Amino acid sequence: MTKTSILRLVAALLTVTLVAAACGGDDGDDPAAEPVATTTAAAAAPEPATDTVETTQGGDLLGTIQNRGTLNCGVSGAAVAFSMTQPDGSQQGFDADYCRVVAAAIFGDADAVNFVPLTAAERFTAVQTGQVDLLMRNTTWTQSRDTDVGMDFGPTTYYDGQQLMARVSDGYSNSSGVSDIAGAVVCTNAGTTTEKNIADASEAAGVDITLNTFEDFDIVTDNFISGACDIITTDGSGLVGRKANQEPDDQDWVIFPATPISKEPLGPTYGQNDSAFADVVNWAVYATIIADEKGITLANVDAMAANPPDAEAGRLLGGEGELQSVMGLDADAFMQVIKQVGNYNDIYERNLGPVGLTREGSANAGWQDGGLIYAPPAR
Amino acid sequence: MADPHFGLERHDPEGFSLTAAVDSAPPDEPSLPVGEWLRKNLFSSPFNTVLTLVFTVVALAGLRGLLNFAFSEERNWDAVRVNLRLLFTQAYPEDQYIRVWVSVGIVVALSGLSLGLWARLSGVPVARVAMWSMTAGGLIALGVVLREPSAVSGPDGDPMRDAAGEVIRQSFGAAMGDRIWWWLAAAVLFGVGAGLWRGFEDERRRHTYVPTIPLVFGSLGVVVATLWLYRWGHYAFTGNEFVYEPDRTAALSTKLPWTVMWLLLMASWAAGRQGRGTPAEGRLKVLVNLAWLLSPFILFWVVLRDPAIDWAHVWSTDLPMAAGFVIGGGAVLYGLTRPGIGEVGRVIAVGLLAFAGFNWVAAFAGWYPMLQKARFGFLLLALAALLAPNFTGERAQRLRLVWGWAGAMTVVQYLVTMANTESTLNTPTSEFLGGFSVTLFVAVFTLIFSFPLGVLLALGRTSKLPIFRVLSTAYIEAMRGIPLITVLFFFANMLNLFLPQNMELGSVAAVTVGFSLFAAAYLAENVRGGLQAVGRSQYEASDAVGLTTVQRTMFIVLPQGLRVSIPPLVGQVISTFKETSLLAVIGIFDFLFLANRAIPSQSEFLGVKREGLLFVSIVYWIFAFSMSKYSQRLERRLGVGER
Repeated sequence: MTKTSILRLVAALLTVTLVAAACGGDDGDDPAAEPVATTTAAAAAPEPATDTVETTQGGDLLGTIQNRGTLNCGVSGAAVAFSMTQPDGSQQGFDADYCRVVAAAIFGDADAVNFVPLTAAERFTAVQTGQVDLLMRNTTWTQSRDTDVGMDFGPTTYYDGQQLMARVSDGYSNSSGVSDIAGAVVCTNAGTTTEKNIADASEAAGVDITLNTFEDFDIVTDNFISGACDIITTDGSGLVGRKANQEPDDQDWVIFPATPISKEPLGPTYGQNDSAFADVVNWAVYATIIADEKGITLANVDAMAANPPDAEAGRLLGGEGELQSVMGLDADAFMQVIKQVGNYNDIYERNLGPVGLTREGSANAGWQDGGLIYAPPAR
Repeated sequence: MADPHFGLERHDPEGFSLTAAVDSAPPDEPSLPVGEWLRKNLFSSPFNTVLTLVFTVVALAGLRGLLNFAFSEERNWDAVRVNLRLLFTQAYPEDQYIRVWVSVGIVVALSGLSLGLWARLSGVPVARVAMWSMTAGGLIALGVVLREPSAVSGPDGDPMRDAAGEVIRQSFGAAMGDRIWWWLAAAVLFGVGAGLWRGFEDERRRHTYVPTIPLVFGSLGVVVATLWLYRWGHYAFTGNEFVYEPDRTAALSTKLPWTVMWLLLMASWAAGRQGRGTPAEGRLKVLVNLAWLLSPFILFWVVLRDPAIDWAHVWSTDLPMAAGFVIGGGAVLYGLTRPGIGEVGRVIAVGLLAFAGFNWVAAFAGWYPMLQKARFGFLLLALAALLAPNFTGERAQRLRLVWGWAGAMTVVQYLVTMANTESTLNTPTSEFLGGFSVTLFVAVFTLIFSFPLGVLLALGRTSKLPIFRVLSTAYIEAMRGIPLITVLFFFANMLNLFLPQNMELGSVAAVTVGFSLFAAAYLAENVRGGLQAVGRSQYEASDAVGLTTVQRTMFIVLPQGLRVSIPPLVGQVISTFKETSLLAVIGIFDFLFLANRAIPSQSEFLGVKREGLLFVSIVYWIFAFSMSKYSQRLERRLGVGER
């Protein structure tokens, strides 16, 4: 029996050595950190397992992002002109560019973004579990999302609103309203607030409509083209894109009413109670707006930085009295934003212009032009 | 389950002789003259005549509808052409694309080797080749006639319309004239077929064989050759610009790699044939099977992911740990297989298992740090220790377990290290692969993980030990009672909440786990059916010759049970492959999602969806159909349903 005892001893000793070896491996890592041990099981797939789970609630998200070196930005990946997946896999669009704006502010590199395509259903969970730092995913700012869901919202970058689209040949025009659509077959996609809004609006206007819903808006549009629907309705930005790209030669489409039937302010969304990060996102957005007000563009930013038009512009571009370093950013953070991505107007015209969304006369014009795009002063 | 030969194989000692194929061919009848054949098969009674006519009309109408849909002027196939790369590899960086080709090359080479090493030489009777060729020619001609005349395009390239808004179409004669090349192709195919048919008299037609593999390679060669000769056009998206060049052949970056692949396929096939019949054949086959099993892991984590290896960490942590596990674990196992160790060995093994389990408890509770790799290592060691009593005996027997452990541990440590190393790829989105490659990898990994799990569950459910039986049954019934999409949502959104601290799985990985667990439950039921088909006498006979339970299961019951379950297992494989399209529902950029959502939302192709969906269906069909054909071959070879 002595042999077995020896064997047992050897086994036990080896086990202990192995444990020591295994634990020793951790010593090289930051001792204050939680165990960095992280492997995906053999089953694991693409995610590099060295990611650590971050809670965004009250944490130092800005520091975490700066250490990581990339911004994880949640986008749709399938939203025309806002975040489209291009044939080479890159992300392009208004929302994608605002991800780049924040990355340029934090790292001075607009390409330091890791885009995470998210469905509408999983977007808030993704923020709460730390999968993304920030949502730029046409998310409407609502009271319940701000409070109950536990999100915080940055400045609105695009004022959207639900509108209707019909054929001129059916007697509709720019000045038509919801009260003119009595008896029409109205189509939209199922299970969205869009459906509820049009039902409410028609009831308020006292008109009877037939509401048909379809799985997604491509099918809705096809039914509109074929004549199965008299009117289709969704957010104005969506309708304009459809009109610009899918209007057949033999039809003439018109979008109304001029004042949308719902308010859909879209902007950056992040987890609540992290002011340092929220400030960076908010002021990166404000910087693009202020630059637009002062005429600092992608094209002339270098000249403007060398010779700023006024003191505020100078501070914003990293000149004397700048406040970016106070926020934990480089002094020239916002200059890099304008230089690499552009001001609000550059971003808007580059992405939304081609699908036919004009700024003039809309809520997305600057406040001096009667719009709602406004930023607090940088001082 | 990359290459499920299950150890059964047959040689063809005749070498290249094709007479062997005759043995397996079903008994044939002399072919009838056309008129007689039609009378006998299609118009044998008034009722059959009506059926034939009705269904011919339905089939022709369906074909016409499909052709008019696919070739309609309204279709914008540019949306698929420009997005081909997106559909298959999503955002994989262009300058690293060689890695994709290397991966394809490895798979092609392994396929060629396997074909050379295993495939019996078979042949297709000339009669059938002639029939195929004539049918293909006939179908093309039929399609050319059925497709409605093309629209007359106006000066702006759009189809012209008459006053009522209807598209103006060519006259029938003009349309047929425009399709002269299609007529030519149909005539050539039909002519070759008819020539073959006429060139052989009936008896020889049915008993002269065209060897299958050269036939297949030749057909693939024709496809590859069209890349160089036919103007498929060049469509791309580079530097934010769309490139449309319809009047040239495919880009060099497409045709060159595929030509290389074709040559590689033939070369590796020839190499496989050379290896056949040599003394090394057995070893070669083992090597090829191992390569198949490891290739998905190596391709995914090493070749495609291009990990940024941190050598300092490798020397300081990874290598010592791997060496510790290999040597220390090997020593423990060598000790545990000592003859006459008896119950003490089992006690130590269970102790190890308890320790390994405790590590996981500690991980969840966050008591002490340990590399995840070490936790897996201890778990594997405990499992190997439990197996040790089966390897007691003389030195060679004991060393077999030790060497097996060393090999397995080296591979596991290597792969886990690679998987844990950050990728150097610079892709815009979080996942470095997307589209069809994700579909493929999810399907393959699901198969790899669900197969052993499913077999274990089936064994558990048929076990005499109540605890295994109850647990397996509960698991299987629970999984089969939940819809797959629910499982996927759960894993995609919630798995990370159940993992130990600091361990995180990406959504694709999490979903793969969900798929595997789900597929395993169904697989287990299929395997259980097979196990029950193994007769009582087999159990009694193995008891009579004194086999242990493990030996009986491994060498008597499983091989026979699995052979019987091949048809349902392949059905399961095909359905798992197709079910991966559910990834689209949970927002992962798989093949279907890109075609259904991503491409229609590009402003260039807004709302262009039907083309992509048709393309996706065709690709899915090609893969599922090939798998189904392969399983039929396998069934024939293993004689399922005959014995």
